[in-house]
Amino acid sequence: MTPIPVTAYTLTSALGSGLDAVDAALQDGCGGLSPQPWQDCDVPTWLGRVDIPDDVQTEPAWACRNNRLALLGLNQDGFADHVSTAIDRYGAHRVGVVIGTSTSSIERTEAAYRELDDSGRFAPEFRQPDTHNPHSPGAFVARALGAAGPALTVSAACASSAKVFATAARWLELNLVDAVVVGGVDSLCLSVIYGFHSLQLVAPSPCRPFDRDREGISLGEAAGFALLDRADPGNAEAALLGYGESCDAHHMSSAHPEGLGARLAMESAVAASGLSFADLDYVNLHGTGTRGNDATEGQVCAQLLAAHTVASATKGWTGHTLGAAGIVEAVLCLHALTSGVVPGTLNTRDPQADFNLTLETAARRPRRALSNSFGFGGNNCALVFGLS
Amino acid sequence: MIVTVTGIGLWAAGLTGWSEFQQQLTVDGPPADAEFNAPRPAAIAPRERRRAGLTINLAVEVMHQACDMAGVDKAAIATVFASAMGDTDITDYMCRKLAGADRMLSPTKFHNSVHNATSGYWSISAQNRAPSSFVGGFRDSFACALLEAAACAIAEDLPVGLAGYDIANAAPLHDVAPISETLGLALVILPGEQSPGWPLTLALQAGRPAAPPMPRRAGLARLADANPMGSALTLLEALADDRTDPLCWPVGQNTGLNVTAGQRSRAA
Repeated sequence: MTPIPVTAYTLTSALGSGLDAVDAALQDGCGGLSPQPWQDCDVPTWLGRVDIPDDVQTEPAWACRNNRLALLGLNQDGFADHVSTAIDRYGAHRVGVVIGTSTSSIERTEAAYRELDDSGRFAPEFRQPDTHNPHSPGAFVARALGAAGPALTVSAACASSAKVFATAARWLELNLVDAVVVGGVDSLCLSVIYGFHSLQLVAPSPCRPFDRDREGISLGEAAGFALLDRADPGNAEAALLGYGESCDAHHMSSAHPEGLGARLAMESAVAASGLSFADLDYVNLHGTGTRGNDATEGQVCAQLLAAHTVASATKGWTGHTLGAAGIVEAVLCLHALTSGVVPGTLNTRDPQADFNLTLETAARRPRRALSNSFGFGGNNCALVFGLS
Repeated sequence: MIVTVTGIGLWAAGLTGWSEFQQQLTVDGPPADAEFNAPRPAAIAPRERRRAGLTINLAVEVMHQACDMAGVDKAAIATVFASAMGDTDITDYMCRKLAGADRMLSPTKFHNSVHNATSGYWSISAQNRAPSSFVGGFRDSFACALLEAAACAIAEDLPVGLAGYDIANAAPLHDVAPISETLGLALVILPGEQSPGWPLTLALQAGRPAAPPMPRRAGLARLADANPMGSALTLLEALADDRTDPLCWPVGQNTGLNVTAGQRSRAA
């Protein structure tokens, strides 16, 4: 495919708000996971929580943690200003929005059910049609930015906000729009903590991807965004070079034992970019920290990755942000390309990997990077980014 | 964008397939008291069907119907699933459970709560490893899915199956998103103009129409009013009637998706 310039990007996660917070965390080797419990939740675990300032508030119709997190994220690194510039250049209806999420605003729906009135109805402040639905973050971001082109929300579990790049790339290739805001927003809530707990996948300690003694995931929340602009006159430092999407066609919550779907997504992405695996300098792994997922992904990486390609799993820094994991790790790849610093695999001490897994954060000046995202339902997506 | 519709699947009260849809057109659409029977897709084993819940069975049923009519290789097509509200039976279950004293969730219900569970069960039922997605657009979900499916068909040069569905809900969710009829429907679209099939020309326009187009027949309009995916019936009605007037769906804050069907071409 023709490379698509990424003219702006930003990340708000447990590491903090904006890219400076990423730099500071990587420099200090200090991740964002904390043992502080979520509300009155009794599942012992570490979480990657975002401190959303009290003054970050939406209009009442859109009020929920997920949309507040989106709003906080949009206002970092001058991202909203970059989008405004694109709107001025192309017209609002030529700027599309594709946002990935798994939770959407379910945290707000949970709260509404805790406070049902005597007749079993939502209390007045919870009667928010635009909030209690899977498209809330996509519609909210479009509204907040004034982007009036086509807007949709992808909800493909943990591959959601990787797949947004594929949708956006198609829109740009077909000249349906001139620029697309892609991103992902997912927020902590009881549904995901108790849900993953029911599957016995939540680690009691900070997650340790690819560690021999890994115990499961640490959940997190995040908002990340990128602006794709095909006509960028050459200002962008990095570009989307390829994407690959696939299904496992195996099981709802466990990966294909030989990683067929994962392999297909990675191979498709690299093929679309016109590169070979040997051209990759860095791979950001899906690396959730569960026994099964890491074993499967490791097996595929051992088959596909060259010895000189450095790989790391970054969920020990941010937690597993589910529907936002795709954009979190896409931004970490983009930032590794432009800053030259490759994040290590935080918390992992005794790695179990037959490929070049790096534990240490280091300046490595990568030029080509691949990001893996694999989700429930067997939905997979891999992305290739490169320096312009 | 030009694509061709080659297969159609459908499930609602009184509408359990394309043949029945065409028959109902002669009597203004299904009667208001038509009974809803839950679909039982043969592609899912009976035990799995019980675990899967209504949205999954609905989406898998209509997708297989559309593929059978189109005669496409079910293992090879890309797919797009879409819903305004997703599986509100599971949303209601999880939120009630989490609001109570015992918060332990059913692991099956939890992994089926991801909106792409429909895609997951479909891909397993068809042994399909091609790209598949779930898109939400709330009230614009059908147009979002059609845009995604058409763009995917043309850009990836693949047949694409689209399944849109929403299920009837009860209070309290009914108060914020009232859905009183269950409806699932599917289209198989091929890139470019193909025969046999209905060619569709799709284009984005500046300007958001105030509302999606409604079916002309009263029985279909009633169903379209009762389900956010219902405006898709307007397209199916136009195809059945061989109508070629342009239809426009809202698909963004100030954007519409224009869809114009061409005359159906039949196999030589």
